[in-house]
Amino acid sequence: MTADKDGMRGICAGGSRDTSMISIRHLCKEYPGVTPLRDVSVEIKKGEVISIIGPSGTGKSTLLRCINLLETPTKGEITVGGVVTTDKKCKVNLVRRKMGMVFQSFNLFAHKTIIENIMMGQVDLLLRSRQEAYDRGMELLRTIGLADKALAYPDELSGGQKQRAAIARTVAMEPEIILFDEPTSALDPTMVGEVLSVIRGLAGQGMTMMIVTHEMKFARDVSTRIFYMDEGGIYEDGTPEQIFEHPKRERTRIFIRQLKVLHVENLTRGFDFPAFMTQLEEFGRKQQLSQRQIYTMQLAVEEALMLKLLPAAGEAGKMDISVDVEYSEREELVQMRFSYSGPSFHPFGSEEDLSGRMIKGISKKMEHKYADGVNHFVISI
Amino acid sequence: MVINMKITKTQNGNSLCLALEGRLDTNTAPELENAIKGSIDGVGELTIDMTALDYLSSAGLRVLLGTQKIMNKQGSMRVTHVNDTIMEIFEVTGFADILTIEKA
Repeated sequence: MTADKDGMRGICAGGSRDTSMISIRHLCKEYPGVTPLRDVSVEIKKGEVISIIGPSGTGKSTLLRCINLLETPTKGEITVGGVVTTDKKCKVNLVRRKMGMVFQSFNLFAHKTIIENIMMGQVDLLLRSRQEAYDRGMELLRTIGLADKALAYPDELSGGQKQRAAIARTVAMEPEIILFDEPTSALDPTMVGEVLSVIRGLAGQGMTMMIVTHEMKFARDVSTRIFYMDEGGIYEDGTPEQIFEHPKRERTRIFIRQLKVLHVENLTRGFDFPAFMTQLEEFGRKQQLSQRQIYTMQLAVEEALMLKLLPAAGEAGKMDISVDVEYSEREELVQMRFSYSGPSFHPFGSEEDLSGRMIKGISKKMEHKYADGVNHFVISI
Repeated sequence: MVINMKITKTQNGNSLCLALEGRLDTNTAPELENAIKGSIDGVGELTIDMTALDYLSSAGLRVLLGTQKIMNKQGSMRVTHVNDTIMEIFEVTGFADILTIEKA
């Protein structure tokens, strides 16, 4: 597998339209009772390494399987290298030959040795001689440190070795793009690293890849682009830096920071205060927060919401007050995020205010921002 | 979670002890205020026992401050058995300097 020089030049020039390898338009995939993909439109360019991340059941694997035509899209169009693959007259096998797929469960033939597994496709589909196929196979096995396993059967290999061999088999077919469907999810944690390093090596050689993964650090390091999938589509699409450091959208931020969230909206004067206190306590207990953290959350709601925001809303009319309680286990941080409309208003604007002194004294930080007619008041605990 | 407050009064001559249990917040502070108003006449030593108090907000602090002002004229007031979390509230608000507090 060698990097296509023309292709690389195209990428360096900023990825003009003619470098588009896969083009997806209004892709929809429905199953009875569930629609993992509602409306996906995206372009994938040569040389891109795209990690697809997101919660379970958000269509990540379905997207890959639609691209590879392992699933028939319900609606929409997919073009691969200028060929419309969703067209009924399309020769699926020819298109599939351009695309390799690596599965969670390796899918090696158990009754064939590792080298035979790698040779088969080359001989049957690429029409290489057995010698050529063997030589190429051994070359690949050597690069991933499995040359001594060439004559072993898959069952004699560890999970990590099996997956590396499966990747070698895919690469031997000289695909233009490789689709990885959770390649490390079935592995013992100690074997994840060896498989990721093989994928990392391919990225270094300029291979175009789409990788569905839950390995966030890997996705961040190896990718040129990240798709965060949620709500039936590509919810946010950006560079690793954009997605991991500065996600623009709410659900991306919650996923990336692994936040546990309690959301309460439409708060008005008549809201059930004791019930909210109970809800906060239950949320805190579930996340194993300390009694002091729970106390501070409750105090923040009482002092900021009950004593300041709701009375202010009473005077100024409706303020659309909502509260998000977000807990990041990794950062050991609770944030109470109050959002409300109306003019700019800091609940504890006055220095002498007793409520403000309390919250300032027992919280880590208070911040008030006002943008586009919406107040954002955040108490960090 | 207890969402209300229970007040137990114990009178001994001119000393009165109010033991608070549960939560002293916006909803329950008026109860304490009424209980104090109704029984403070002639009291020379007032004790607010916080052994079983889990939560105290600014609404509760305001009642305590008002009560302290009354007791300044007619005797003394102590707040006892204050747990660490509530003690922190007294400290950050400066109430630790105004009230006579005994920690748990």
